[in-house]
Amino acid sequence: MIEQIKAAFPNAENKDFDGNRLDITVNKETIPSVLLYAKDKMGFRHLSHIAYVDWIEEGEFELVYLLWSPVDKVKLFIHTRIDRENPVMENIDMIWRQANTYEREIKEMLGIEFPGLVAPDEFILEDWEDLPPFRRDFDTLEYVNRTFWHRPGREDAQDVRETIAERSGEEIPDFAQKYSR
Amino acid sequence: MREKATTIYLGPQHPGITGNMMVRLKVIGDTIVSAQTEVGYLHRAFEKLQERRNWLNSFTLMCRFCVPETDPMENLYARAVESLDNIEVPERAKYIRVMVLELARIATQLMWYAGQNGSMGLYTMGQWSIGDRDYILDLFEELTGGRVYHMYQWPGGVRRDLPEGFETKVLETMDYLEKRLKDYDDLMFANAIFQKRSQGIGIVPKEDIIEHGVVGPVLRGAGIRSDIRIDEPYEVYDKLDFEIPTQEGSDVWARALVRRAEVHQSIRIIRQVLDQIPKGEITTKIPNPMKWRIPKGDTYVRAESGRGEVGYFVASDGSIHPRRAHLRGAAFVHAITLLENILPGQNIADVSVIMNSLGTCAPEIER
Repeated sequence: MIEQIKAAFPNAENKDFDGNRLDITVNKETIPSVLLYAKDKMGFRHLSHIAYVDWIEEGEFELVYLLWSPVDKVKLFIHTRIDRENPVMENIDMIWRQANTYEREIKEMLGIEFPGLVAPDEFILEDWEDLPPFRRDFDTLEYVNRTFWHRPGREDAQDVRETIAERSGEEIPDFAQKYSR
Repeated sequence: MREKATTIYLGPQHPGITGNMMVRLKVIGDTIVSAQTEVGYLHRAFEKLQERRNWLNSFTLMCRFCVPETDPMENLYARAVESLDNIEVPERAKYIRVMVLELARIATQLMWYAGQNGSMGLYTMGQWSIGDRDYILDLFEELTGGRVYHMYQWPGGVRRDLPEGFETKVLETMDYLEKRLKDYDDLMFANAIFQKRSQGIGIVPKEDIIEHGVVGPVLRGAGIRSDIRIDEPYEVYDKLDFEIPTQEGSDVWARALVRRAEVHQSIRIIRQVLDQIPKGEITTKIPNPMKWRIPKGDTYVRAESGRGEVGYFVASDGSIHPRRAHLRGAAFVHAITLLENILPGQNIADVSVIMNSLGTCAPEIER
């Protein structure tokens, strides 16, 4: 199989085979043709997952297409990198229709555009105008402080029994006092 | 005269919906013309929170992705970390993990018994199976300290050894459940209402079924023998003898028969595990969690849950935090593209029957 992969994708890098796992790294432009070839000619019929990672230090997003061949029992990892400054990626939902859902999520969470993706505008987020939240430079704490106000809760380290005793004027019995702060 | 389509919102608050999600239905009369799944009621950003947690802290979030079946997620995270850091797991821990996974599978299917029958208005079955599920939760409580969330299978092994006399209790529970399954058959599968409302309903087209991302009992209900425990054995499943039940009908009835047979197989697996389980260590010593760095790399591990394939993609950048941990749930495909495609033409009353049958779990879609 590794020979077949090498012959089919001469430009792909990192053709490692380890146990039942095969890794290839390809250009983002070639993704639809590589996926179609893997699906139709090599038996990788099942799209397990499309995973995404933000490598902010390198200025790139990584998409990993995880395919499974039910006959050969091999996992194929197809890695590709996308420029963070201009995040556009080919749409593949004509190859696997469920890829549509993954792409909707990636578009929303990472801000990658998929030209030609036919889907409702919003998937999980509603009226979101901030930075896509799964980017590494999105600061959750800062966003929360900016968007929501803090409601004063009950005071910390407050002993419920003391509060009740204060309100009702009763005394805390001796046996309970030793557990009281 | 052309009939006008009406829009109906099923959920997010509806007794027939499985979790916090909504299906927007367009209907003419009571026949569905189109369906669209809408989510967004439940996103907890677990995967975002993990970016700031260390490798062991993240493990406490792991089990919370799908409430009815929490153990496969723990197992996946543990295996992902072990494969990234090349940690060997003791043999005894692997057996205990399989036992826990199969107990969880039985508990999930018992919950499904309740949901599937409840969606048809047959509530007695639910009372029985949820009651019996509690016996399994009792076992979990004794073993792990928790009934629903266990946080038991951690990287390196499992957290505690089996308590004294635990094996006997498990076997007794299995004997009891096996007897009860006969009663379930009489109440559920011999019931004319259940038969009429499940046969020929919610048919998943067999054409290109693998390409459409269908997994688990739905795929096996369409006659394809596919199970990750056999295809890509993990833990000690390759040393155990069990069958993968399949059915041909591809409808709600076929999937019900598959799940029923799976409970029997899980009981069989648990008996073998308790018979073969070796003595020895239950966990490998892991580094100090505060300073635990995992070599740069990525991995994708898969497990068979009660709903089908769940997978976990984990990437490490060599630091003390996971760079990315990304879950693939069966419902991510089943409850969106598959559901939207098979609902048109069905009756409104069958929507929740079909959703239960496909194993919809909303928390798995929004993590």
